[in-house]
Amino acid sequence: MRWLFSFLALALFCVVNARSFTGSRLLVVLEEESEREKYGVFLGDLESRGFTITTLTPKSESLSLFKHGARAYDHLLLLPTKSKGLGPALTANLLLDFMKKEGNVLLALSAETGTPTAVQSLLLEVDIHIPSDRNALVVDHFNYDSTSAAEKHDVLLLPFPKPARSDVKDYFGGEGVIAVPRAVGQTLGNESPLLAPILKAPSTAYSYNPKDEADIVEEPFAVGQQLNLVSAMQSLNSARLTVLGSAEALQNAWFAEKATLAGKAVKTANRDFAAKLSSWAFKETGVLKVGKLTHYLNEGSSKKLNSSSALPENNPKIYRIKNDVAFQIEVSEYTSTHLTPFELPPNDILQLEFSMLSPFHRLNLSPISQTANSTIFGASFRTPDQHGIFNFAVKYNRPFLTGIEEKRQVTVRHFAHDEWPRSWQISAAWVWIAGIWVTVAGWVVFVGVWLYSAPVGAAVKGGKKTQ
Amino acid sequence: MAATEGDQFLKQATGPKTRGLLRVIILVLIAGAAVSSRLFSVIRFESIIHEFDPWFNFRATKYLVANGFYDFWDWFDDRTWHPLGRVTGGTLYPGLMVTSGVIYHFLRFLTLPVDIRNICVLLAPAFSGLTAFATYLLTNEMVSSPSAGLLAAAFMGITPGYISRSVAGSYDNEAIAIFLLVFTFFLWIKAVKLGSMFWGALTALFYGYMVSAWGGYVFITNLLPLHAFVLICMGRYSPRLYVSYTSWYALGTLASMQIPFVGFLPIRSSEHMSALGVFGLIQLVAFVEFVRAQLPSKQFQTLLRALVVLIFVVAVGGLVLLTVGGVIAPWTGRFYSLWDTGYAKIHIPIIASVSEHQPTAWPAFFFDLNLMIFLFPAGVYMCFRTLTDEQVFIVIYSVLASYFAGVMVRLMLTLTPIVCVAAAMAFSQILDTYLDAKTPKVDAKTAENGSSEPAKVAAAAVLSDGLRSTRNPLVGIYSYASRVTVVGFSAIYLLIFVLHCTWVTSNAYSSPSVVLASRLPDGSQHIIDDYREAYYWLRQNTPENAKIMSWWDYGYQIGGMADRPTLVDNNTWNNTHIATVGKAMSSKEEVSYPIMRQHEVDYVLVVFGGLLGYSGDDINKFLWMVRIAEGIWPEEVKERSFFTPRGEYRVDEGATDTMKNSLMYKMSYYNYNSLFPAGQAQDRVRNVRLPSEGPQLNVIDEAFTSENWIIRIYKVKDLDNFGRDHHSAVSFDKGHKKKRAAKRKGPKVLRVE
Repeated sequence: MRWLFSFLALALFCVVNARSFTGSRLLVVLEEESEREKYGVFLGDLESRGFTITTLTPKSESLSLFKHGARAYDHLLLLPTKSKGLGPALTANLLLDFMKKEGNVLLALSAETGTPTAVQSLLLEVDIHIPSDRNALVVDHFNYDSTSAAEKHDVLLLPFPKPARSDVKDYFGGEGVIAVPRAVGQTLGNESPLLAPILKAPSTAYSYNPKDEADIVEEPFAVGQQLNLVSAMQSLNSARLTVLGSAEALQNAWFAEKATLAGKAVKTANRDFAAKLSSWAFKETGVLKVGKLTHYLNEGSSKKLNSSSALPENNPKIYRIKNDVAFQIEVSEYTSTHLTPFELPPNDILQLEFSMLSPFHRLNLSPISQTANSTIFGASFRTPDQHGIFNFAVKYNRPFLTGIEEKRQVTVRHFAHDEWPRSWQISAAWVWIAGIWVTVAGWVVFVGVWLYSAPVGAAVKGGKKTQ
Repeated sequence: MAATEGDQFLKQATGPKTRGLLRVIILVLIAGAAVSSRLFSVIRFESIIHEFDPWFNFRATKYLVANGFYDFWDWFDDRTWHPLGRVTGGTLYPGLMVTSGVIYHFLRFLTLPVDIRNICVLLAPAFSGLTAFATYLLTNEMVSSPSAGLLAAAFMGITPGYISRSVAGSYDNEAIAIFLLVFTFFLWIKAVKLGSMFWGALTALFYGYMVSAWGGYVFITNLLPLHAFVLICMGRYSPRLYVSYTSWYALGTLASMQIPFVGFLPIRSSEHMSALGVFGLIQLVAFVEFVRAQLPSKQFQTLLRALVVLIFVVAVGGLVLLTVGGVIAPWTGRFYSLWDTGYAKIHIPIIASVSEHQPTAWPAFFFDLNLMIFLFPAGVYMCFRTLTDEQVFIVIYSVLASYFAGVMVRLMLTLTPIVCVAAAMAFSQILDTYLDAKTPKVDAKTAENGSSEPAKVAAAAVLSDGLRSTRNPLVGIYSYASRVTVVGFSAIYLLIFVLHCTWVTSNAYSSPSVVLASRLPDGSQHIIDDYREAYYWLRQNTPENAKIMSWWDYGYQIGGMADRPTLVDNNTWNNTHIATVGKAMSSKEEVSYPIMRQHEVDYVLVVFGGLLGYSGDDINKFLWMVRIAEGIWPEEVKERSFFTPRGEYRVDEGATDTMKNSLMYKMSYYNYNSLFPAGQAQDRVRNVRLPSEGPQLNVIDEAFTSENWIIRIYKVKDLDNFGRDHHSAVSFDKGHKKKRAAKRKGPKVLRVE
């Protein structure tokens, strides 16, 4: 018993210690061990947030994302390497497999070293596009740092990003400017709903290849707001792939650097941004968790929920048509250390569908109550006049939030033979009921009359004649 | 003791008691023969439910036994017709299940804990014994000779036409329905003969039981009124007929309306209108008879005729008007296809696709009825000679049933009882005539003392003394040689009949079709058990709620053996849903996938016989899927595009693109190449060589293939985790890296948040 307890305590300790919702094992892949120094502050911050960091180079023998078919790490930080390939342990297929098993990837690109082919094809698969030239970088003649890039204008100074829409939660806001030196700009495909930009380039920026002057004149890769400096892809299983255009922005050198923006001296806030970005990328923020999900018959004796005598059966497998049903779902949001009640962004709603082939009901779930670490959303409705196998479905997929896809199958049956109203309760049937009884009474009367009114004379002659 | 009895029998000095005992013994032996000849399948294979529909009946019986009668009555089945479900309690004929349930509980009451499966397996043979008895009773009502009844019982017991639907394990509605059919007819004849309200009520009772057991009850519903109508038209109206018909109709209709599946059909649907019409007619006739009894006059006859004709016209006119007005449901498609064999093929492919709804081939009559099919007309002819009320019934029954049996293979079953009865009458006539040891002449030597009384009567019936030539008893069989010849040949025919019946039963009707048997070169039996292998795989390796999509033929079996929800099954109540499955099977993967997602399909099951040469596979049924789907989506699924320009249905290199891209084709032949050397893949059902390049699958994964490749199961993939379409996801997994899109033509598409 004691060992079990200590084991539990240890497990609890680990859970408390790790700030990420999914685990604390972080693999950092970089060119060589000495590079680690450059990112020392960032990695130190991560370590202080509870991550256990393993640093490996692509050439390392022990580099493998999987062990015994399961993930060996929970998160992967891929810093730029000089080599063109990343070796057999980090192919695009393996990276996708890593994400299929809910591993998160933070991908830092660099215009100086170029992007490895594995990463290129990985990005192509998820419909994120980067310039085909190895050295293309983002240039802006208006928002550059005139201290370090007075000539080249390739160090961008940008404010913290704001949510693109009002119904999206803000996880990357902050005060100050972010320095994005020599970034690889990305464009996002239009088809996939899984992609979201985190940091867009200003409208005056463009992608520029210093090796090929002509290219920019003919057809630039992308310009202005179409160009993203940081973008994110959250797959259906909520594994996150974050693409950071400039790995340099994570380096110690840029974490609190003096810079000049349009003649004004500013201090870069890269450390703050890196913390926010990595905590989102490694699922410390923006993680939703569904707690208890209940539905119950909300009528008759079971309607009095709180009376101890008549607690309704929770989550029954079967309802009847035209039943009053209540549905509740408990949603919490994980923020860095603990679960908090999930609050919907303004202008956004959580919806419940009651569907068979297509939704018969699509209802807004309204917050009913809050516990210490969750919000309970609920709705009640009447099951449709259609029997079949229905699903309670809650689907909530929003940018920067892990998806909620809950489905509970219930059967909605027809009226049983003894659930219809009795005949005398239907006023239109009274005529027919009266008819039945009149016939019965008439028959009895007739029999009586027949028996007692036989003609006396005939009866004497013989009863056979009455036949 | 036995010796003395035999001696007495030989001397034909048996008393009525001994003869009664003998009859009982003979009937018991016939029942024993009937039961035992149906046990081939249990002995050869095992005690297993056969075919398709019996699996549903078995499952329903298990539900009834487990949950009780009221739950069964209100049963909403959420494991079939996903996601529509089926109001099973209200859409089945519960008689069969309830019968088994009652037997089950009775045996348990006797502390005999018998597995419900064994009751279900052996129910049909047990009831075939009862059917033989009912046939005996029915035949006895027709003729005076008791030997005819015993012969009819023996015929009924072993004729393949009935065995085809009642071997052990064939747990279908017909198992008990044929007994009820024959017994109801017996009761009806009895009622008409006696004019007894009691027998009429008994007829109604068994009619009610029949309604609860089989949709074929409509046959009785129309035959009895027709009988009454013909009798009225022949001027044979009698109070007996009135009493029996009205008591049957009133009580029987009430009884039939208690079955939820039938409900108000008896007063609303066209199939039942003849019974209602004759009921009205007989009231009128009775009234007219009554009036005539009060005022006898010559003019009354004409008045009566005019009245009958008028009423008839008004009734038919009213019926037509009500049908047009929609008050009375028009005839169903199945009914139309009884009159026009081409109707179903054009209008309702789903009915035409069932093999047992096809018109009967001529050899089938001989195959199922053997020598009886020749004796049958003779028996009917004999009925014409002494046309009593009950023999009119035989004539009507045989005419109707012969027609229906010619239209639908399945209805051979309703023909069989009357064939047995008529054949037995004819045969017993022969035997009675020739076995009569007494020479007809009075002064002829009376070598053998005594003659069988019934034979005498029968002979008297044959020899009417109205004609001059027969006034003197010159006609008769005098020589023993002719007697021995005829009787001997008859016996030989009977023996051949028995041989034939046994042979047919053993070879044609005793295969469970769940388990296939084949012969190895050395003659030993080899069991092909792919169906159960696959169904048990599903049962043990998939989540309990995994939805299985397959063609509807296998729905009941999946439900029964694999216990998994299915999309469609053999209860083909929703044509659109079946067409949806047909569309998913016959379309491209990209079209099928959204359909399968919408219906939450987890696994797809196909039957493929190409490796083994098993011809009842899905590719051979494929055109029906296409046709049924085309009936609902004529724009999207076209039967023509599955045929080559020369009009051939091909699966080899020359198959059309639509065919090659259809999900069914791909699922059938996926990976099939890998069994053969390159380019040698051979389909042994259609005897063609397949293309060297096998089909590729994107939206489903192969999950299971049975030993002989008869059943193949595929798992439907989830949506791609990264939002790609399945085609590109699969090609990426195979190592084809996506090419960077070349410079696009036209303006760039900008992304908007």
